[in-house]
Amino acid sequence: MATNKNPQYILRYFDRIGVAEGSKLLLSAANVEWTEEHPEWPQEKSNQPFGRMPVLIEKHVDDTDFVICESGNIERYLARAYGFIPSDIRQAAFQEQLRDQTSDMFAAFISQLVAKSEEDRRENFAKFDGLLDKLVEVQTKQINANGNNGHLFGDKLSYADIVTYAFYKIIVVGMVKRQANIVDIVKPKLTPQLIKLITAVEANPLLSSYMTRSDSLAAVVTKPTSARL
Amino acid sequence: MLSGSDTVYVLRYFDVIGRAEGCRLLLTAANASWTEEHPEWPAEKANQPFERLPVLVERSNGNEWILCESLTIERYLARVFGFMPTDLKQAALQEQMADQQADLLSAFFAQLTATGDMKSKQIDEFNTLFDRMVKEHGRILSRSSSKQHLFGDQLSYADISLYAFYKLFIVYLKCYQSDIAEIVKSKLTPEIINLILSIEKEPQLAPHFSKCDTMAAIFTAKDF
Repeated sequence: MATNKNPQYILRYFDRIGVAEGSKLLLSAANVEWTEEHPEWPQEKSNQPFGRMPVLIEKHVDDTDFVICESGNIERYLARAYGFIPSDIRQAAFQEQLRDQTSDMFAAFISQLVAKSEEDRRENFAKFDGLLDKLVEVQTKQINANGNNGHLFGDKLSYADIVTYAFYKIIVVGMVKRQANIVDIVKPKLTPQLIKLITAVEANPLLSSYMTRSDSLAAVVTKPTSARL
Repeated sequence: MLSGSDTVYVLRYFDVIGRAEGCRLLLTAANASWTEEHPEWPAEKANQPFERLPVLVERSNGNEWILCESLTIERYLARVFGFMPTDLKQAALQEQMADQQADLLSAFFAQLTATGDMKSKQIDEFNTLFDRMVKEHGRILSRSSSKQHLFGDQLSYADISLYAFYKLFIVYLKCYQSDIAEIVKSKLTPEIINLILSIEKEPQLAPHFSKCDTMAAIFTAKDF
């Protein structure tokens, strides 16, 4: 539990939906004071602790700053500090493994996006596709085991719900400018259980301020596909 | 310690150093009851929760619990066996280092597989990132009261994670790229080499070296 009153947070990242999205969701859901900074890049690269973003700065009243980086690490820190990760070690680990799965998926997705040869592109896309199918299967199974109530675990917004939502948002909304067909690839794979979770996350009162500033993923995944003859 | 004395662990992975060394070292340092399984691959792929390895199986009181993802397994074991600080900020600093190290492994494979004009760019990126990692390790060490440990005066998750990281690059990855060990060794400072060798001498890790070589023989006087 934070002992400082009203710590302020600064989240440094690019002005886009990317790996910092989970952190933005968690900061919003935690109902803390926070702002976003979009440093000039690459000019500000050497001013970041590890030359990379995102970076989280937690400011304290006595002017000491606590600075951490690595998107997954920032998410886990915020989730633990504000009660979105269970204190039970096993339950926490079970949620974390879902998030860690997505790192390899991002890598495969980016690899297929920037691939120079068609062979490379197909190989990396197949890897991404295979991992995605497995992830959807595991997530859906867990949602069902939890009673298909719009949550992966329990009945409150959790770290797992947030990072799951963030993953699909990054791929389907964040990446669409770079790969227009991504919606047609991912959307058919989303099970009704996942769509229900995505909708529930966006409707959660804890995220109402986040939703005033962010595009709706639910709108994209529930939009009827054009009829095929 | 949060594990019962009748709890046994099975670590499923390939019979290589790979991404499981941190897990092996943690189980060893914890003096846990554990064994390793090397599933037939790809025959056993479909039997794993995410069709990937490593997988940790925890068995106690007739129950079985399964966890995947190498870093998740590491953090879980570190917490169960008391190698992770309970203070959230201190834990985040150790986890950050482990995540940064994982980025380096990705950067290694990116430069290995890159072709054309991307190749030299990825090699530069890898070298820059690695230099930064060594500097970060040095920075943490310089703030530590003990030069044998990164944080505090006892073996922690960070120490084990750092050791596994350098072992990966100096002992294992040459199976992918023959010159990587020399490239990495040339980047190390005497302080970091001393730290690696100190961690290796931790009594809690002694059983690990009955199964594999230490890195002591790899560093000669001219490396310091």
